[in-house]
Amino acid sequence: MAEVKVNGKKLTKRSLFWTWAPRSEKEAGDSIVRNLLLHWFPAKVTLKSLSWGYSLWLGTITATLFLILTLTGVVLMFLYVPSVERAYQSVKDIEYVVSFGWFIRAMHRNSAHLMVAFVFLHMVRVFLTGAYKNGIGVGQNRPLNWIVGVILLLITLFLSFTGYLLPWDQLAFWAITVGTNIAKNAPIVGEWIRFVLLGGHEIEQNALIRFYVLHCFFLPAAVLILFSYHMWRIRKDGGLACVDNLVLSQKKEKVKDGMKSKTYSLLGLTAGRTVQVETSLIDEEKYTVNSVPFLIRRIGLVMLGTFVFVVLISLFIHAPLEEPANPNVTPNPAKAPWYFLWLQELVAITTIRIGGFVLNGALVGGILIPGILVILLAIWPYLDKSSNLSTGVWFSKERMRQNIVFLVLCFLVIVLIIIGTYMRGPNWEFYFPWEPWPQLPKKF
Amino acid sequence: MKLDRREFLKNLGIGSLLLALAGQIYTWVRSLFPNVSYEGTRRVKLDEPDKIPDGVTFIDDIKTYIFREGKTFYAISAVCTHLGCTVKYVGLSKPKVVKIGGKEVEVKWEFHCPCHGSKFYGDGTNYAGPAPRPLDWVKVEVSPEDGKLVVDLGKKVSQNYKLTV
Amino acid sequence: MDKSKLKKDVTIVYAVALMGLIVTIIMYIGYFTPEWKKYQSEFKRYVSEKLGEEKAKAIEFGVKQIYVKELNRVDRCITCHMGYEWKGLENAPNPFKTHPKEILDKHPLQKYGCTICHGGQGYALNKEEAHGFIEHWEEPLLGKELEDIYRPPDRKVLLQMNCNICHRYDTLTPGADYINYAKKLVKEKGCRACHKINGRGGVIGPDLTYEGDKAPEQFDYSRIGGYKSVFAWHVAHFKNPKMVSPESIMPEMGFGSREAIALTLLTMSWKKVNLPPEYYPQSYTALADLPTPEEIEKERQMREGEGAFFVNKGCFVCHSISVFGIESAAKIGPDLSNALEDVQSRFGKTLENFIKEPTGTMSIVLGSQIMLTDSEKVQVVELLTKAYEKYRKQQLTSKH
Repeated sequence: MAEVKVNGKKLTKRSLFWTWAPRSEKEAGDSIVRNLLLHWFPAKVTLKSLSWGYSLWLGTITATLFLILTLTGVVLMFLYVPSVERAYQSVKDIEYVVSFGWFIRAMHRNSAHLMVAFVFLHMVRVFLTGAYKNGIGVGQNRPLNWIVGVILLLITLFLSFTGYLLPWDQLAFWAITVGTNIAKNAPIVGEWIRFVLLGGHEIEQNALIRFYVLHCFFLPAAVLILFSYHMWRIRKDGGLACVDNLVLSQKKEKVKDGMKSKTYSLLGLTAGRTVQVETSLIDEEKYTVNSVPFLIRRIGLVMLGTFVFVVLISLFIHAPLEEPANPNVTPNPAKAPWYFLWLQELVAITTIRIGGFVLNGALVGGILIPGILVILLAIWPYLDKSSNLSTGVWFSKERMRQNIVFLVLCFLVIVLIIIGTYMRGPNWEFYFPWEPWPQLPKKF
Repeated sequence: MKLDRREFLKNLGIGSLLLALAGQIYTWVRSLFPNVSYEGTRRVKLDEPDKIPDGVTFIDDIKTYIFREGKTFYAISAVCTHLGCTVKYVGLSKPKVVKIGGKEVEVKWEFHCPCHGSKFYGDGTNYAGPAPRPLDWVKVEVSPEDGKLVVDLGKKVSQNYKLTV
Repeated sequence: MDKSKLKKDVTIVYAVALMGLIVTIIMYIGYFTPEWKKYQSEFKRYVSEKLGEEKAKAIEFGVKQIYVKELNRVDRCITCHMGYEWKGLENAPNPFKTHPKEILDKHPLQKYGCTICHGGQGYALNKEEAHGFIEHWEEPLLGKELEDIYRPPDRKVLLQMNCNICHRYDTLTPGADYINYAKKLVKEKGCRACHKINGRGGVIGPDLTYEGDKAPEQFDYSRIGGYKSVFAWHVAHFKNPKMVSPESIMPEMGFGSREAIALTLLTMSWKKVNLPPEYYPQSYTALADLPTPEEIEKERQMREGEGAFFVNKGCFVCHSISVFGIESAAKIGPDLSNALEDVQSRFGKTLENFIKEPTGTMSIVLGSQIMLTDSEKVQVVELLTKAYEKYRKQQLTSKH
């Protein structure tokens, strides 16, 4: 090993980088604690947290997708011109004459769709495992982290939505028209929100530059800040919820065997009655491994796998680009982005007429129903009264009823999205996937 | 033997990892080198020679002064040889006689650069300020198709290139 | 899960990395072998065969484009159609053929590009998308492929449509015989009686000034057989307006496919285009789409003369009233000069009764398109009685 002495201190390769093959527990701990990139991970992790089956690694996949989106997004920012006159042309150029432009754009688009899907799946996983619940640690606040997660979900949707307008083609223009008109129906503030969002009453240059700035700076920055907090809270809450579960089941065993004492804990800190004191009850030999290399390698594997998957599908699934935006002609059918199609479907079926009184579907289906769902989602941890034995366990018996209700709601949303995406043809009429749509007219 | 195979697989794995990442990162870098140009034209077609006004005319599109003296035409680039500002044509109220390259020449106008004070005589020779060399002369030709005058920035010519029609 | 499983991660990382490498290689193969490179090397081979090695050497590879700032258009057609201004490739196969020179002399490529005349997608760099016969591109190449669908009586006429973007106000454009013919028809058939064209004309039919901008979704294709397109709609509509839209009062002019296609090209060329002034032809025909003094006088007489009522109500679209100097372009209905006795012999009732309770075609027209109040109906009878008196007088004088 190369060693250089500077002012009497030893500077080794190891103090600059990290080692993949730590020779001692201390080296393994150092690799994490003394490393900027890794310092937010614990030095030791439980095998359960590392397993594929508990977390399904959905959060890591989501974060990787966000990283891909940031990288490809920065490249695209160099190539795209956010002006009504040039936007469409610059996207056509990205598609045709920029080297690999079509590919970078396809990666960006596919990652965006995948990110929406994976944030959602991550949420489903956390709900089904009761991972938003506090366990046994002091100072835990998992419900707060769940709320942060819900906000991240909403921002992800909005990020994707703002990016939708940028190509300035018919698909973009009309998806945003439909989307922002749903917002317009919110009571009292709806009209105002739409006006501020678009910088006017029409989707024009003002709207384009607003969406661009939101999409490229404001929302990604918000995601980054909330993501950091999200991760920090996981550490403060004593790691994944399955750890609490492990400790609880260990407690019973240990009472029988007598307590084992350890000189270090997950964090390398044992002062005070904190989460870590409780978690140090775990039999480390049996249930934990060093983060370096096991955790870091598996994170690397998930990131690599996600990246390769996105690259692979981007070779086959290209980002669409339709005719240039034309405010005078609505394509038939005009659809919102797929993750809002369940709302569009709701809007289409929830116009209620009682006598002369008409309740607009956009208000019921577009605002009230999703609004109530989001609020319920956010406060659910406070309504869930199950015991901490169901924290970090898949399909706990105690939480069976709520899990079923939650799954049914998710299923309904997914079914509505599938109907909206694949079974709605011209004039929003229903077509089975095997039924051909009527031939759409062309100019020539 | 078994160890060799393990070593080979390890190298193959790490090798493909690095190559694949390098290949992907290269796409991002390569995309920033444009394959087509949207820059303005370098060649401007003017009117028939006898319809060009006598004296000096500035052609905005290619930042060039074109001069007509009877049947003779020539063009001087207005781009300062120092840092690229556009030089200004300054007519002199009294012609002065200066020495350029050992010869005495009468100068009726000059070019002054507004940015850093470079000054050029009427034929583009630099005489004051930071400009390192004379202004470029630009090719003037008659289009073979329709007999109109063409100024072509793409073709560099030596100082004192003049076209007589 | 035990620790031994975690060790397998290394192998999985290598396997995924290898997959990543393979995918990346596939991508790079695509990058190095685009369609246009094939055409460029083929062109080089062709030139060295036909014109010698020396000339072939001068060919530079790479994406080529013509950017016309004034029109905000960019065309990359010449990336494959490389021979467009070469001498000696006049008989070469496409895409290497020389472009006819005469038309390029008047329309230099640097000022026009390709697609403003030919249609197609100038952005694209592969044949299918560049020729524009794809979803989400509405301006395909106006060439052989389209002519095979619509079968105009003559070949190479479809792109005349785009001549009329600039030559819109000309009466005669050299080389654009279909457009010229269509413009002649517009005058002869009196389209302006009902339609506004270039901001001038009647209000009975829709304004056609920017008819070419209408999107495919804005037409009703329910009565069109076969391929559904704006072009097909117009052709069918010109041949038989009532069949395509039964409510239409537009008369059937007996157009054949030459007339219908010529008029379709003309109508579809009427688009809102931002053109710098120098793009309009600087000839004596520029801005020539103005009425002649005779036409103005005739129109004035029709609108202000004795029969003004019939002109304003739109009756004159189908009916002439020769004694009032009104001449219908379509002449579908009988001349109304002798309506007083003609109605009696045709329908067996007096004119007065017929106006009140019309039968046949007129019952539809008076029931849905030309709605008359009771006092107007009285006026009709009065005016037509007057016309009949005049008609009788003329008959008598001509007999003597």
